[in-house]
Amino acid sequence: MGAASPSSALPRAAAGGERTLGVSRGPRLALLGILAICQRAYLTLWRQPVLIISTMLFPVIYLLVLGNSLNRQLSHIPLAVVDEAGNSLSVESRRAVLALEGGRDLVTLAFPADREEALRDLRRGRYRGVWILPHGLSANGPGPAFIGDNTDRPSYDALDAALTDVWSDVTGRRRPAADPAHLEAYPYLDYLTYLGPAVVCLAIFMGSMVAGGLQVIEDRMYGYHEGYLVTPVSTGAIVTGHMIAGALVAGLAGAFVLLAIMLFTPLPMTTPEALGGGLVTVFLTALAISALWFLLFARARKTSVLRGMFGIINVLIFFPSGALYPVESYPKWLRVLSDIDPLTYGITALRDLLLRGSPVSSCYSEWMFLLTFTLVCGVLTQVLFRREV
Amino acid sequence: MNPIEADRLTRRFGKTVADDAISFSVRPGETYGLLGPNGAGKTTLVRMLTTLLAPTSGTARVAGYDVVHQKGKVRASIGTVSQAETTDENLSVRENLSIHGKMYGLWGKRLSQRIERRLRQVGLWEKRDQITRTLSGGMRRRLEIARGVLHSPHILFLDEPTTGLDPQSRRGVWEMLGDLKERDGSLAIILTTHAMDEANYLCDRVAILDQGRILCEDGPEALKRSLPTGEHVRIETERPIEAADRDAILALGAVNWRCPVPTSAEFEARPGEGIGRRAAQLVEERGYEILHLTISPVTLEDVFFAYTGRALREDS
Repeated sequence: MGAASPSSALPRAAAGGERTLGVSRGPRLALLGILAICQRAYLTLWRQPVLIISTMLFPVIYLLVLGNSLNRQLSHIPLAVVDEAGNSLSVESRRAVLALEGGRDLVTLAFPADREEALRDLRRGRYRGVWILPHGLSANGPGPAFIGDNTDRPSYDALDAALTDVWSDVTGRRRPAADPAHLEAYPYLDYLTYLGPAVVCLAIFMGSMVAGGLQVIEDRMYGYHEGYLVTPVSTGAIVTGHMIAGALVAGLAGAFVLLAIMLFTPLPMTTPEALGGGLVTVFLTALAISALWFLLFARARKTSVLRGMFGIINVLIFFPSGALYPVESYPKWLRVLSDIDPLTYGITALRDLLLRGSPVSSCYSEWMFLLTFTLVCGVLTQVLFRREV
Repeated sequence: MNPIEADRLTRRFGKTVADDAISFSVRPGETYGLLGPNGAGKTTLVRMLTTLLAPTSGTARVAGYDVVHQKGKVRASIGTVSQAETTDENLSVRENLSIHGKMYGLWGKRLSQRIERRLRQVGLWEKRDQITRTLSGGMRRRLEIARGVLHSPHILFLDEPTTGLDPQSRRGVWEMLGDLKERDGSLAIILTTHAMDEANYLCDRVAILDQGRILCEDGPEALKRSLPTGEHVRIETERPIEAADRDAILALGAVNWRCPVPTSAEFEARPGEGIGRRAAQLVEERGYEILHLTISPVTLEDVFFAYTGRALREDS
């Protein structure tokens, strides 16, 4: 402020020395503004227990249900065996199939009287497969026939493979010259554990939606925002404040789930290094995602916008990230989406750290991407953000 | 230098002109009322002055700063209490102020001292840890006002400060604002209202706004006095007033003479000149017995009616 500041011309009250005008400008005011927005987001979260519960519980429930329902080892597949041959080979075959039932519970067996009945029941969905041992069954033919329910591809493949093995065993044709070596580079992982890092990212995604996207629109709808906009805090600081506030809440949710999976799932890597690197990854991912939310809703005025778009955004961000299935198998167009999805980088970094025990330095490139992504979104948001009401 | 100088401030929304070349100024320490029905352009005017809306044309200086080119400085000099509730209902009274204070660069002990001072001023110190949602409407409004003046602004904007409050809470807010002015004589307050009594009670000067234009502007008393027909007088006598006596009363300055019934005379007069009282004296001196006398004081409602030809509340 120059010497000719107009404010000095204003008469001052006895307590006039306290005037704020001109006292705080620049970086200090920006920092305090960011702090204020974060303080509010943090307090609001704790005053709304429903939000915390949904933000943090949702991913955990997701992990438990999805992890336990998907990609499990198959068992109790209903299989019908029709023995038309009645010779010694067919008896041996039946015994071998019974072993599949008794041993690892792969199948639940039925022995219908004839093939007509068996096939009819297959079409009614009672069996996933019918194995017919025809008249004159012999190693040189005729061999057994497998008719499987291919609408259920995983069961079909499992039965087909198991019955092929059974037939090879029974006919003594399975003796390859040398066993190829199979070695696993990392300790055994079940799918539930494989999902762990993805679920951490899901928690971040949910948290940033609640605290970032939704909160900003609600603020605007209910007029709280006006309270910020009339203050001297710069637009850049308001945008940054909202992004960091969203990231803090989302990061908190992510960190909670990260700790939970480290404690309760058989994660191979639970070293302090993995935890530290994991927390940094969680926070950076949260920052990138909440920047994205804020950019998407920089101008939205109604929560219905979010309601309408949530499903689409969820699909566009969560599924291409490789959370559920390896990215490498995606078609090209989906890989492009995956390449610009910040969640992809969060999940990759977390998998490296938690499943493979990679050093923190291997995550630097992912961290760099997340930071750049945040910065780009932040700048775009500031351009789009309207200070008017 | 005046805290607010508006020069032909205009705002259009498409073809609608919300504010049409409005010029006015607010003096230091003054409480200035923008009075008008809903849709008169009051809120749009306040939004332009508080940098929340860019004017289509015209200029305004608030605390000496241009509202378009020096937004930051304008924002630092003003406090606002919006029509919307801008305090967070999930936070406590004190937390709301603490967050807001930081947005003005206040911090630490200085901030907590100010919060205490302002909360005591608005009578909410005892409720400082109460969650805002549980406050009554009047208390909530007082909190909004405490927040508006937390950083000791030069100018306080109040957009319909008592709309939706019960009469007792309104009175409470008015007294609180009076108290605020008493402690800080240089604070200029600009308030919008469609309540005549509010403008009358609080404002040093009032501008009557209708359809985006200022129709008149003066102190409430001066505005009332400016009306030739503001004072309503009714005199009931035991016998009809004769023509000669009627002419004597008209000579005092009475207008619109009428007799709904023969023994009751009604007329209007310019306020503040004691015409009604003098007419009553005259009637008694001439030997009539006055059975009933009413002299109704003029209200800002009458002023509004005189300028617009319709009652203020018709469309509000």
